[in-house]
Amino acid sequence: MTAVAPAAFQQSNVDYVAILPMLIVASAALVGVLVEAFAPRRRRHVIQVSLAVVGLLAAFAAVVWVAVDPNKVGHKGLTMGFTDGTTNHSVFALAIDGPALFMQGSIVLMGVLGILTMAERFGGVGPDAFTPSGASTPGSASESAAARAGALTSEVFPLTMFAIFGMMIFPTTNDLIGMFVALEVLSLPLYILSGLARRRRLLSQEASLKYFLLGAFSSAFFLFGTALLYGYAGSVYFGDLSKAVATGPLAMNGLLLPGAFLVFVGLLFKVGAVPFHAWTPDVYQGAPTPVTGFMAACTKAAAFGAILRLAYVGLDTARWEWTNAVVIVAILTMVVGSVLSVTQTDMKRLLAYSSIAHAGFILVGVLAFDRKGVGAVLFYLVAYGFSTIAAFGIVSLVRQNGGEATHLSQWAGLGKRYPLTAGAFAFLMLAFAGIPLTSGFVSKFGVFSAAIGTGGATGTTLAVIGVVCSAITVFVYARVIVLMFFSDAPDDAVEVVTPSMATTFSIAIGTLITLALGVLPSSLLDLADRASQFVR
Amino acid sequence: MTTRDLVFVVVGTITAVSALLAVTTRHVVHAALWLLVSLGSLAGCYLVLGQELVGLVQLLVYVGAIVVLVLFALMLTRAPIGPQSEISTPAWQRALAVVLGGATSALLAALLLPLLASAQVDLDRPETGTTQIAQAVFGTWVWPFELLSVLLLVALIGAFAVSRLVLHREGEAA
Repeated sequence: MTAVAPAAFQQSNVDYVAILPMLIVASAALVGVLVEAFAPRRRRHVIQVSLAVVGLLAAFAAVVWVAVDPNKVGHKGLTMGFTDGTTNHSVFALAIDGPALFMQGSIVLMGVLGILTMAERFGGVGPDAFTPSGASTPGSASESAAARAGALTSEVFPLTMFAIFGMMIFPTTNDLIGMFVALEVLSLPLYILSGLARRRRLLSQEASLKYFLLGAFSSAFFLFGTALLYGYAGSVYFGDLSKAVATGPLAMNGLLLPGAFLVFVGLLFKVGAVPFHAWTPDVYQGAPTPVTGFMAACTKAAAFGAILRLAYVGLDTARWEWTNAVVIVAILTMVVGSVLSVTQTDMKRLLAYSSIAHAGFILVGVLAFDRKGVGAVLFYLVAYGFSTIAAFGIVSLVRQNGGEATHLSQWAGLGKRYPLTAGAFAFLMLAFAGIPLTSGFVSKFGVFSAAIGTGGATGTTLAVIGVVCSAITVFVYARVIVLMFFSDAPDDAVEVVTPSMATTFSIAIGTLITLALGVLPSSLLDLADRASQFVR
Repeated sequence: MTTRDLVFVVVGTITAVSALLAVTTRHVVHAALWLLVSLGSLAGCYLVLGQELVGLVQLLVYVGAIVVLVLFALMLTRAPIGPQSEISTPAWQRALAVVLGGATSALLAALLLPLLASAQVDLDRPETGTTQIAQAVFGTWVWPFELLSVLLLVALIGAFAVSRLVLHREGEAA
């Protein structure tokens, strides 16, 4: 049957230093699984948290090592593959370049803050935000039995590490199949984590199921688009895809547009762009609050990294085919996200709609199609990520009767009783609104000026709509601030519980970075700008 | 029309009809069994097209693992297996599902049929055999391949994290 003589097997060339950051995170996650099996229950929490934090910091050091490259070895470039000797056709699975390393570094650092907020115990034995028995019916006997027996959910730390591992690969992959597998590796732990909230169990289970089902649909879209693009170009590597479009119309030309469209649907779902945003408010509300903050910051960063690579390396030559569709998505995302955030009465849902609006602003930067736009997007993702982790960290501290008080009316008068907490939250709100001297202003200025500079008439239109939508969201955030500082507290007032060092640290760092990037943004802007060149 | 075409048409029809029955039947177990037929005959389609490895993987993974998993889930959750009138979908949802499914199929057919209708492949000398697939999986695709093992591990841990049950000791109040 096989008439084609098989060529000699060619092994992949792997630069192990270049992939060291990912290997460190993956091995920390695997060790975490073993800790889960062998460490005594009393010590498990401390071991897991310190293992995760140490692993992430080591991975960050490795990212810096690869990026700075002190021995001038040249770790940047394509790796995990080979160049075919006979056809001179190179197939590489990973692209270690500026945007990839920048995204890896920022995801790892935001992951540290995420882990620290998840580790909050409030004096209990296990992480406070997570239920010990996720599958049991809320309020059932087996649930209370699990709580009484002192069961922990310290599996959340290895799961989070696996999610971070997937997020690091997502913007680094150089082909559509690798991107799909990374998408699954990062999504699966998030589906599980969002169903494990200790309080308001039904909401959490609903969130998990919704996220899983819609996520499965979007993965299917992505995979189908991959199949169509493979049919078009005969390869799933971004370089081949770009070349196939550039060399001209092929027999399968009809597959390009639907393929690109379906792949973009899969990616835009992950960032919560309208009309693929339906899951965002429900999942943000139902998931444990520290997980929501982690998801909002890191998933968004990873998914935008992947969108950037697809838009600038894979489908750059086919830009005229898909730009208009993404422009419409960006406009819808900004408008729907900011208008609907006005009507929200729940703090977590409000932040969810705000994150949708931010996804729209970031898309404006993606559509600038210029190195400056890439740099602005990278800066925006870091600035927004640190602010949002801190904001959700504060939301998890405002409590009533032990549970989180997320209804807006419960926040009335918070500023008079807890000026420090409310002040930090108000500052983060100002950053989301994009007021000068916060990181939000610098990042919005970056994406809009990139869009006006190189986006042409479309870019200018997008920037104008973006500024109008920012003005709408200012109203939302100002209302929260007014509510906290200028209205009287109800009789059954909420309290701000005193968190552990870890949570305090991550909220403080998030807020300080928001301030620092607003006052002295030049060093990170410079870094993002230097990191904005993709390798092909 | 060669014998191969004839066999392909027969196997393909079985696949499509049993897939339709799987989504229209009111019995959960029937749906699982029709799914088994559909996935099994899809493996037949691959075999007719000369891709024996893909066909066998389809049999092992889908027929062997996934459908058995569905049946196990039905058994373990002690779900009622007869038709349930109180949780059955309302008529408008069924109509909407038919319209959406039909529209997607029509769209794909309109896209793919004109493109691929004239494509010719020599099935006696397939371009990719098992050897090429093996070389690709362990050569260029080794990284995604290893990642998939991480994905399976995550699924396993996730199942533990979600489904932990604390059993009552004898004599202890619930």
